[in-house]
Amino acid sequence: MKRLNAPKGWSQLLFTTPTEPWAALRAAAAAGAAGTTATLTAAGLRGRGGGGFLTGAKWQATAAEPASQHYAVANGYESDPAVFTNRLLMEENPQGIVEGLAIAALTVGAREAFIAVRAEYTEAIKRLEAVITNAERDGILGATLLGTGRELIITVRPLQGSSMIGEETVLMKALAGKRGQPEQTPPYPSEVGYLGKPTAVNNVATLAAVPWILNNGAAAYAQIGDTAQPGTVLVQISGSVANPGVLEVPTGTLLNEIIAAAGGTASGAAIKALLVGGPTGGFIPANLFGGTPYSGAGLKSVGAHIGSGALLALDNSVAIPELATMLTRWCADEACGKTIPCRIGTRRLAEIGQRFVDGLAGPDDAERLQKLAADVTDSALCAHEALAPSPLLTGVRYFASEFGPAVAEPSATPTSGRS
Amino acid sequence: MPRIPGAGLVSGMRLTLTRFFQPKRTVMYPEAKPDIAPRNRGRLELVTDEHGTLKCETCFQCAQACPIECIDMGGTDTKGRFAVHWGPAEQYAERREESAMRRSGRTVSDAAAATGATINTTKVDEILEAHDYDPHHMLGILEAIQGAYGYLPVDALKRVSGATGAWYAMVYGTATFYKHLAFEPGVTRSIAVCRCANCLVSGAGSVMGTLSYEFATEFGRAIPWSNLRLESLPSHLLGAPSPLVVIDGEPQRDLSAKNAASWAAALAGRYAA
Repeated sequence: MKRLNAPKGWSQLLFTTPTEPWAALRAAAAAGAAGTTATLTAAGLRGRGGGGFLTGAKWQATAAEPASQHYAVANGYESDPAVFTNRLLMEENPQGIVEGLAIAALTVGAREAFIAVRAEYTEAIKRLEAVITNAERDGILGATLLGTGRELIITVRPLQGSSMIGEETVLMKALAGKRGQPEQTPPYPSEVGYLGKPTAVNNVATLAAVPWILNNGAAAYAQIGDTAQPGTVLVQISGSVANPGVLEVPTGTLLNEIIAAAGGTASGAAIKALLVGGPTGGFIPANLFGGTPYSGAGLKSVGAHIGSGALLALDNSVAIPELATMLTRWCADEACGKTIPCRIGTRRLAEIGQRFVDGLAGPDDAERLQKLAADVTDSALCAHEALAPSPLLTGVRYFASEFGPAVAEPSATPTSGRS
Repeated sequence: MPRIPGAGLVSGMRLTLTRFFQPKRTVMYPEAKPDIAPRNRGRLELVTDEHGTLKCETCFQCAQACPIECIDMGGTDTKGRFAVHWGPAEQYAERREESAMRRSGRTVSDAAAATGATINTTKVDEILEAHDYDPHHMLGILEAIQGAYGYLPVDALKRVSGATGAWYAMVYGTATFYKHLAFEPGVTRSIAVCRCANCLVSGAGSVMGTLSYEFATEFGRAIPWSNLRLESLPSHLLGAPSPLVVIDGEPQRDLSAKNAASWAAALAGRYAA
């Protein structure tokens, strides 16, 4: 998976190493916490981890929380096994991420900050650590932050063993050496986070944008992409496209523009659907490519989400029910087991999906799928559970004919008396 | 019996009025306290279902919730993995049988104790020293122990619990959650299948199904007759083809979407022979 050249006119900033390293950190130190959060809020920077909170507001809340310690955490743990966007970002722009995290720590008043990285990403870990070591040697980080006498220790923490670690409350547990199960939010980590202290948790892609905003101004950032969620996002497009790879896309770009940037279809065969958002994402049919912007709200309206940033192009050789069922089974196997609707419900969903694949679905199964999916989503403690039914739900919604007559023409099949 | 209007009301009110004049059972706790023997804790017992199987699935919740750590347990967990037991480690061995009898009414077999897997814990102590006996470094400690012994011996977990002050249930809970931590000794090799969406599209599902069937082993477990474990690859390898199978860290190049099922069957045949 490599980086693709973006078409003309697409702003590229996440992979851009700050031209003058640590200038943004100095600017943040000069502006103070209130100034920095005001700039970020004016830029409209929202979290790229999925929650989509305003980063400035989040840091402000964390800083305002009274506590003996505050922490800042960069989340570079990619949960989706197929995706490498954060890995490429950490390898190519470690400076931007470390600087963004230092600004976060400075703003929320943290003396300790962590970068959580998949243990498999050895090269990314090496490069991040190199940036930190050099900065400590130059007196920018470490015992005296920018020579002010304040302390800021940034540590890279390699983690592995569960895809749930990407969820922020689970990440807090994993960093503290506990079983990786999510907690009810609120309270968010900005109130009760690492070791129970207020913690600013940000995706590395969010942090990489922070130095750019402070260097280039909030107004320049706010005019990129979608006005509701300005800036750029990282996507990884793969499957049956000519040039699979990682792209930096302004928010609100239409799906067919992203496909065109990846060179269109690979074999000439039409792309039937896009799986948007990774294993918990939704299938979007070809007729919606032209009208669906790649943004939080735009994708939500069609049943998908930005998620891991994965876009998987599928041609006619792929059977949607089978793929949706396998993805649901992955979600079931990765479930941490804390909430019962997730632990058992996702398994039952996969079984219902398998019945559709095998052609053994009963007349009630379509309805049962909808009800169970609604229950699983409603009881969700974390995004994994809330989104796990998405592949089957969007599959049924847009590719009903593939699921057989019980879904395609519910009126044609006899149903039992149960409602 | 003929229907008399109001008979139901009368019989209902009779019970209400009888109870009304009886002495009250309610005690205004905690202002007033019932007269109970000081060491009475009620009766704790494990419930069985209609087939006589224990309903307890050793989920840890009771032991973790118990404020004075009085609950301990023995048995195998729901994954058939090991005897689990917790409670204050120093009291554990002496109390185990008696406690299991008292609490559940029957003895619980203790596979770990029976095999007597005592290990030399010097390396565990060195690792603990290096991590400053800090329970917040639990993942690092467990990873280092696995690095030193090849797996996580129960004795090592007990030592970690005793030395760091973390409850055994917590240590065990952390150790069982993360998939790269293993409890089986001697399982040194692995067959890992990538389950990312790209690989699933290209036939990883049929590779997994075939391997699981041929080895009669679920993914995530060791194959009983060998030193091999079947597992899912946590993350696709950068630049590797799909579907991706990694054997002992080596990505396999000779399988494709078309031959996935037959390739898996051939692999299973090679290992079985």
